[in-house]
Amino acid sequence: MLNARYRDLILYKTLADLRAEAARTYIGFLWWVLDPLIFMAIFYVVFGLLLRRSTPDFVPFLLIGLVSWRWFQNTITHSATSILGGRSLMQQVYVPKIIFPLVVILTDLVKFGLVLMLLLIYLWLAGFSVGWTYLALPALLTTQFLLILGLTLLVAAVVPFVPDLKYLAEHALQILFYFSGIFFSGASIPENYQPYFYLNPMASIIEAYRDILIYQKWPHWLALALIAVLSMMISFLAYRWIKKNDHLYPKLARR
Amino acid sequence: MSKSLALSLRNVGAFYWRQAGYLRKERFWALNDISFDLHHGESLGVIGRNGAGKSTLLQVLAGILRPDRGELVNHGVQTALLSLQIGFVPYLSGRQNALLSGMLIGLNRREVIEKMGDIKAFSELGDFFDQPINTYSSGMKARLGFSVAFQLDPDVLLIDEVLGVGDSDFRRKSSAVMRDKIRSDKTIVLVSHSAETIRQLCDRAVWIEDGITRAYGDTSDVLSFYEEQLTT
Repeated sequence: MLNARYRDLILYKTLADLRAEAARTYIGFLWWVLDPLIFMAIFYVVFGLLLRRSTPDFVPFLLIGLVSWRWFQNTITHSATSILGGRSLMQQVYVPKIIFPLVVILTDLVKFGLVLMLLLIYLWLAGFSVGWTYLALPALLTTQFLLILGLTLLVAAVVPFVPDLKYLAEHALQILFYFSGIFFSGASIPENYQPYFYLNPMASIIEAYRDILIYQKWPHWLALALIAVLSMMISFLAYRWIKKNDHLYPKLARR
Repeated sequence: MSKSLALSLRNVGAFYWRQAGYLRKERFWALNDISFDLHHGESLGVIGRNGAGKSTLLQVLAGILRPDRGELVNHGVQTALLSLQIGFVPYLSGRQNALLSGMLIGLNRREVIEKMGDIKAFSELGDFFDQPINTYSSGMKARLGFSVAFQLDPDVLLIDEVLGVGDSDFRRKSSAVMRDKIRSDKTIVLVSHSAETIRQLCDRAVWIEDGITRAYGDTSDVLSFYEEQLTT
């Protein structure tokens, strides 16, 4: 797919971006932890204290949803302008444009990894011990990664052609946020709406995290497999699209 | 002509889109009809006024853009544009930026690491080399940028105007090594709006106006035609 030089370049660029981001502020990489903590604290106050949801174990329930969602949302949002963001670069050297979204995916993956560790530590401290179902966690993480990869490449590929789609994508994410079952479980909504609810892959993924981490249940394997396969197809199509238009992006970036 | 061909252009054209009112884009042909040959070991000067399509031509030669019409035949050469300060990231050290920038312009990680000593020495940055580049003056950044870019040794080097950069001493030094490189038997395409520079450095020249080849041949012939046309 990409030769060794470009693979090295992607890894080093990711490292460079993370380093630069950490060096930009006083407390540096602590922001990668603090930022999601503040975000989650707000939701805890609103839904955990003020609205007093009756779901048992609501705090871990909520945090799992938010952590998984933020990985999804951040990567897609950041990648929307990733190719256009490389405009001055791509006017001066030839680089495969796929590099730009891939670097975004990797930097956000590192940050998510950090937050996931904290989430797991919190869950263990809160008494949710490691069970056999943890064995399903790598498969689930891979599935979500593939979903993010596919949608991220797709958004990164088309936004340079129609920059307006960036706003559309942001609104779509905002809507999806409320329909992914971050504050409620799929089982708690009216039964006739449930099939529609599960059309949203993030709803299934968040539920799977809760099954594994809180309820010690095995996830819905068929749903995960379906998401993984579809995501791989989308990733492949978006990759082909970016590759096909490799020499068009520098032109689009000029207007 | 005994020298072998490196690149040939036949009626090459390339367009950009530009805004033509609300929701409307139109094609703007920055290059219309460009034809010339580049031979191994040759220094070819490209002359023309601002907006003549010189930079777009270099982008086509560098493989950044593809011709939208006509034909560019590459006879098996690797081309690269001399690009300064490519991909520099503030807050990273000169050394880290040199590695990143070197990899972006076309070197392998290992090659940049091997050349790091040369880059540091040429840039004359001393201890600053390991300091974040947001502490650099613009002259220091220019020195680092040139020292990295100069390490790249493609079959065909494309140069857009810049010969020397930085503060006066470094400008003299960088300009001198650049001129040596152009005069050596390296294959070079040099874009300039200065007839004088092209006269000094290039064996052959091409004159471009409105994206069209107006003249192509030996430097002295092309330049005298160019100057004759400009004054009339």
